[in-house]
Amino acid sequence: MLELLFDSSFAASVPRFVTPILLAALGGALCERAGVFNIALEGFMLTGAFAAVLGAYFSGSPYLGALAAMLAGIAMGLVFAEFNLRRGGDPIVVSIAVNILAAGLTAFLLRAIFHVTGAFNDPAIAGFEPVHIPLVASIPYVGRLLSGQSILFYVAIIAVPALHVFFARHRLGLRMRAAGENPAALEAGGVSPSRVQLWALIGCGAFCGLAGAQLSIANVNLFVENMSAGRGWIAVVAVLLSRGRPLPLFLIAVVFGMVDSLSFRVQGFGLPQQFTDMMPYLATLVVLVGLSWWRRRQSV
Amino acid sequence: MHVALSGITVRFGALTAVDDVSLAITPGEIHAIVGENGAGKSTLMNALFGLVEPAAGAISIDGTVRRWTSPRGAIAAGLGMVHQHFMLQEEMTVLENIVLCSEPVGRFGFVDFAAAHRRLKESADSHGIVIGLDRVVGDLSVGERQVVEILKVLYCEAEVLILDEPTSVLTPQEKDRLFAILKSFRAAGKAIVLITHKLDEVMEIADRVSVMRGGRLIASGRRAETSKEEIARGIIGGELPAARQRRPRAPGEVVLSVDKLVAAGRGMAVGPITLSMRAGEIVGIAGVSGNGQAELVQALTGLRPSISGAITLCGVRIEALDVERRRQAGMSYIPEDRQRVGLALGATVAENANAGRDDRAAFSRGPFLNRAAMTRFARSLIERYRIRVGGASARASTMSGGNKQKLVVGRELARATPLVIAENPTWGVDIGAIDFIHGELMRMRDEGHAVLLVSTELDEILALSDRILVMYAGRLAGEVARDEASRERIGEMMTSRAVDALPEVA
Repeated sequence: MLELLFDSSFAASVPRFVTPILLAALGGALCERAGVFNIALEGFMLTGAFAAVLGAYFSGSPYLGALAAMLAGIAMGLVFAEFNLRRGGDPIVVSIAVNILAAGLTAFLLRAIFHVTGAFNDPAIAGFEPVHIPLVASIPYVGRLLSGQSILFYVAIIAVPALHVFFARHRLGLRMRAAGENPAALEAGGVSPSRVQLWALIGCGAFCGLAGAQLSIANVNLFVENMSAGRGWIAVVAVLLSRGRPLPLFLIAVVFGMVDSLSFRVQGFGLPQQFTDMMPYLATLVVLVGLSWWRRRQSV
Repeated sequence: MHVALSGITVRFGALTAVDDVSLAITPGEIHAIVGENGAGKSTLMNALFGLVEPAAGAISIDGTVRRWTSPRGAIAAGLGMVHQHFMLQEEMTVLENIVLCSEPVGRFGFVDFAAAHRRLKESADSHGIVIGLDRVVGDLSVGERQVVEILKVLYCEAEVLILDEPTSVLTPQEKDRLFAILKSFRAAGKAIVLITHKLDEVMEIADRVSVMRGGRLIASGRRAETSKEEIARGIIGGELPAARQRRPRAPGEVVLSVDKLVAAGRGMAVGPITLSMRAGEIVGIAGVSGNGQAELVQALTGLRPSISGAITLCGVRIEALDVERRRQAGMSYIPEDRQRVGLALGATVAENANAGRDDRAAFSRGPFLNRAAMTRFARSLIERYRIRVGGASARASTMSGGNKQKLVVGRELARATPLVIAENPTWGVDIGAIDFIHGELMRMRDEGHAVLLVSTELDEILALSDRILVMYAGRLAGEVARDEASRERIGEMMTSRAVDALPEVA
C-alpha cells in the first residue's frame, strides 16, 4: 500500500501542492521579517488566482495571466498598506478585512465579468504548459519530481536562495530586517520603517499573486470560488514557524505540500473526504506541538 | 566643525521642554551638558539631531544657518548621536548594524560589505577600538554594544558626536575604555557632547560644562573655572540634601532564604543561587545589566517559574506559589519597568494605587470596589509622596517618570511587608525623587523590613546596602560587607576577574 501511496505519480504531484504554499509563504516571509503582521496571504492568493484566469482568458497568454495575478496581489498589498501602515489599523483586523474582501470581490467579479457562479471553466483560459527538462526527465522517480512542472515551481525554488541572499546582502533586505526587529533604530538612522514595510507588502502581494496563478492556471485551468481553500493559512503557519527564514520555510512548505498531496491520494483508498481534508491541518497541529516541545527542551 | 544653537525652544503641548537655549559646540572639546531628568538636556540634543522640531531658534554650522527635520539631514551635516537606549539590531552582526542606513551599495542595490569592512577597520584602528565585526550584537556585553554605537557614528564620518548618558550602563572599567576613545576623538579634532548627570565624570573628562534646569540653560563655562559643588547647586537650584545618617542596626530574624535556586534565563540558566536575608538589612545586588538579576527577581516574585531550588519567605515555602500568594506571604516588589510591570498606564492613579490590594475588605464592598476608599488611599499617597499629578482620577500615563515611580514605591511600601524587592528603583528619576526613594528604603530598613536592592547603579548600591552581592553570568560572583566595599573591588567582580579568588557564597 505504501508503494502505491508514494509511487512516481506522487513525486510528480508534490510540486503542484508545494508551489502555491511556498510562493505565498515567501511573500509572507518578507512581511514577517519587515515587522508587518500579515495574515491576509489567503486573500492575496485568492485575488491572484482570479486575476490569473482573467488575464490568461483575455490575453491568451499564461505569462500575462501571471503578470495580472502579481499586479492584483500587489493591489491587495497596497490596500493592506493603506489601512495598516498609513492609517494605523490593527494588522489582524486589516488582514481579516482583506481576506473577506478577496472572497467577496472574486465571487462578485466572477458573476460580473464571466456571468457564472461557483466556477468558471473555459478552453480559452491559457494555462501554463509543463516544462520538460531534457536530461533530468529521464532519471527515474526524481525525473517526475523535478521535470514536467509548471514554470512557477522553478521560480519558487530559485526564489528560496534568492530571498536568503536578499535578506543577507541587499540594502532593502537589511533594512527590512531592521524594520522588523527594531524600527526605532532604523528611524534614528534616517530611514522610514513604514516605507520599507510598504515594499515588503508589495513584494508579498506579488509572491501571493503568483501562488494564486499556480492554483488557477498551472494546476488546473479554471477558477472556483474560494479556490485557495486554506492554503494561504498554511503558508501563514509556515512563515510563523520559520520566523521568515527562507531555508527552514522551504522545508516546512515541502512537508505541508506533501501532506496536502497525500490527502488527495488517500481518498483513492476509500477514506472519507472529510477526514482527508483534515490532514493538512492535523499536520500543522502536529508540527506546532512538536516544535514547541522541542523549543522548550532547548530553552532549559 | 563649529555648531551654534541659538534661541532653541521646544514645546510639547503646554509644556516648554527647552526654553530659549543658546549653546556653542567647539571642535576639539568635550562639552558636558548636565541637569536633572526632565531638565531638557536630551530634548535639546534631539532638536539638534532632528528628532524633534523646535518651535523657535536656529542651528548654524560653521556660520551658516541649517535646517533639517529628520536625523538624515543631521547625519549628512556631520552629526552623530549615541542614544541612551541603544539603537541596535540584536539579531544582526556588528558590521550589519554599522552600515545600516548608510550602506555602501554596489550593483542592483547589494551591499558592499567588503568595502565597509575595510573602511571601518581603518577608522577603528586609528582610535584604538577593537571589536569583532562579524559577531552578533545580541551576544555582546553592554560596553561592547556601546562601542558598536560609536563605530556607527564614526562610520558616517561625524564631526560632532553626541552621547546621551553613555556611562549609565557601564562597569567602571568599561567607562575608562569609553573615555579613552572620547579623548582620542578630541585629539582628532572632533567635537563631543556628553549628556550626563554624573558629576565625577564631568570633572574627569569635560572641557566645558553647561547646566540645564527646567528647560533653561542656567550656566555654561570652562570646567577648570568651576567646581563640583557649584555645578551641583546649579543643577538642583539650591543646596544639596544633607548626607544620610545611617543608624547601626543588628540584623534580626531570617526573612528570606533562597536555596540553590535555578531559573531559565535568556540563553543561559540563572543559578544555582543561595542567599539569605534578615530583617532590618538592605542587601544590594550589583552587576552589569543582563547578568541574571532580572531572572533572579522574576523567580523570587513568581513572574518566572524556577527550575529547581527552594525559596522560603517568613518560614513559608513559596517557590511553587503564584505571584498573588507570594505577595500575600509577605513580599512587595518595585519593578524596574514601571511603564509595563509597575503600572497600568491606561488606568487611573487611584486604580493603580490599589492594584494588588483590591481583595482587602478596606477597599471593597462585597465583590465590588469601594471607589471612595480607593480614592482616599490614592490621595494619601499623592500627598505623602508629593506626587505631581492632576488628581486621583487622572490616568497614570499623564505623570512624568519620577512621579510614576513615586506612585509605585508608595503603593508597594504602604503594604509594609517583611520583604521589599526593589529593582533599579531610581532608574530615570530626578535627583529629588532619588533622594526621597532612598530615604524611604532606609526607613523600611530601620523599621525592620528586609530590603533586596537590585541595581546597576553602583553608587546607589554603595550608598544604601548593608551587604553587597555581585552577580555575574547568572551566578553570585561574591559578597562584600559594607565596610570593605569599594568601587574597584566590586567592579572587578562585575567582570568576574575576581570570581576564582572568592570563596563560594553561602
